[in-house]
Amino acid sequence: MTERKSPTAVLHEGPRALSDQQVRQIEGAALKEVLDVDIDDVIEYVHKDMRSLPDYTTLYRKYLKQRWDVYDLDFAQDKIDWTEKMTEPERQSFLAIASGFHHGERQVEIELPVFMIGAGEEEKLHISAQIEDEARHTVFFDRFYREVVGLQGGDIMAILDASFPWVSETFVGPFGLLAYQADEVRRNPYDERARVRYGTTYFLWIEGVLALSVMKVTLSYARWRGFLPAYYTGFTATCRDESRHVQGGMKYLQDAVRKDPTMIREIHETLRTILMLAGVASREVIYEPLGWTQDEVRMLMFQQLGRKLNDVGITLPPDLQAMVSSVQPVLAGG
Amino acid sequence: MSEPEFFSPAWAAAVRDALSAGPPEPDRAGKLQMYWDFFDRVKAGYASSWALGCRDLPAGPASLFIQWGGGTVTDCRVTGPGGTPEATYVLGMDYADWQALHDGYDPQRTVMYRKILVEEGNILEFFKGIYFFTECLAVIGKVPAGFGALAAH
Repeated sequence: MTERKSPTAVLHEGPRALSDQQVRQIEGAALKEVLDVDIDDVIEYVHKDMRSLPDYTTLYRKYLKQRWDVYDLDFAQDKIDWTEKMTEPERQSFLAIASGFHHGERQVEIELPVFMIGAGEEEKLHISAQIEDEARHTVFFDRFYREVVGLQGGDIMAILDASFPWVSETFVGPFGLLAYQADEVRRNPYDERARVRYGTTYFLWIEGVLALSVMKVTLSYARWRGFLPAYYTGFTATCRDESRHVQGGMKYLQDAVRKDPTMIREIHETLRTILMLAGVASREVIYEPLGWTQDEVRMLMFQQLGRKLNDVGITLPPDLQAMVSSVQPVLAGG
Repeated sequence: MSEPEFFSPAWAAAVRDALSAGPPEPDRAGKLQMYWDFFDRVKAGYASSWALGCRDLPAGPASLFIQWGGGTVTDCRVTGPGGTPEATYVLGMDYADWQALHDGYDPQRTVMYRKILVEEGNILEFFKGIYFFTECLAVIGKVPAGFGALAAH
């Protein structure tokens, strides 16, 4: 890792401009080289093409070049950092945040196939790649919880069961909604309104806002302290994968609204439900051991949501703007 | 005293009492007050009804109909077998998943893993009260019930 700045520095610096060299480094880094990539640059990279979104074939070709082998990661140093260097408050704070991702990855993996049925042919290529990405991310967290945290279990579900006590009761808000919206799409895969509602929850809120925020909090901590190199490497590579998912998802929503402007209502209605739930917390998550405060996390969420809406050209009516201003979302991701 | 049989009138009466009382204090103690404020606010204004189905009872599908109003349960009864009552939200679950919920399976995962599904009703409106619903599911799961009946399959 080449620099160790404060985890929250980027909040105060604002959006950064990426040079062509930085973009090439992010796009072309092999798994081992990802350790040297700054997570803030990768998150900026997610937004790089947002105003002129790439087509699905381009995203699929990027996937073919960027996919990585989750079994190439070596968690030996992470285990040492976790057990010998990190404090108990740091571990508990980390788990309170990362466990949402552990379960979130599983959820976004299994809820995506039904969305593929009603997609265009090129989009199907992109979605099939995304499903494989999400499966790999599920394995990444399974390995992290087994080999670093030390949870034990005979299969993936056993590890999910073991980490579930760290998952907040409000996790069911976005992820239960996604499950039920996926079921709605399953019943009628060509119902474009149902697909837009699903896409708003999945691509805009869960991936575009929650996931990127969780990534930023835990990864900037790892980079700041110089801990957990395999976690940093695998999860930063995951963030690069998410850039394709978010860009593909935003393209889907943008195209849907351009084709039928009344689709904006489906996005707004979905956001009304999500934002109503997002301001509720059932547990107090202490962010300070990871270098964050609740207000800074809130600011991060606002930045992520605002940039997506602005870049893709989704405007909000006054009542939703007021909800955005008052909400304090709980971290979870996928 | 023996526990009432699952999906019997006596069980429905016990569910009504438990839901009207709300989550017990030990369950409330583990979660933030803002969460329970949200729960109480939803409960106070909730005027919808649920038909919570069991798809594979031996005698055929049946539902637990629950009507909310004025911050309490105004109607709670087993309907069926045969037909589905008119309800704001019609939901369905298999016998084995009802039993798992009763045995302590997490209500949040019961929703997320699609053990229970909304079969009729507006999903976005339903989810505005999802924390209220999952806490009620937890309350229902803790109501003693005998699961002597064999599932149809």
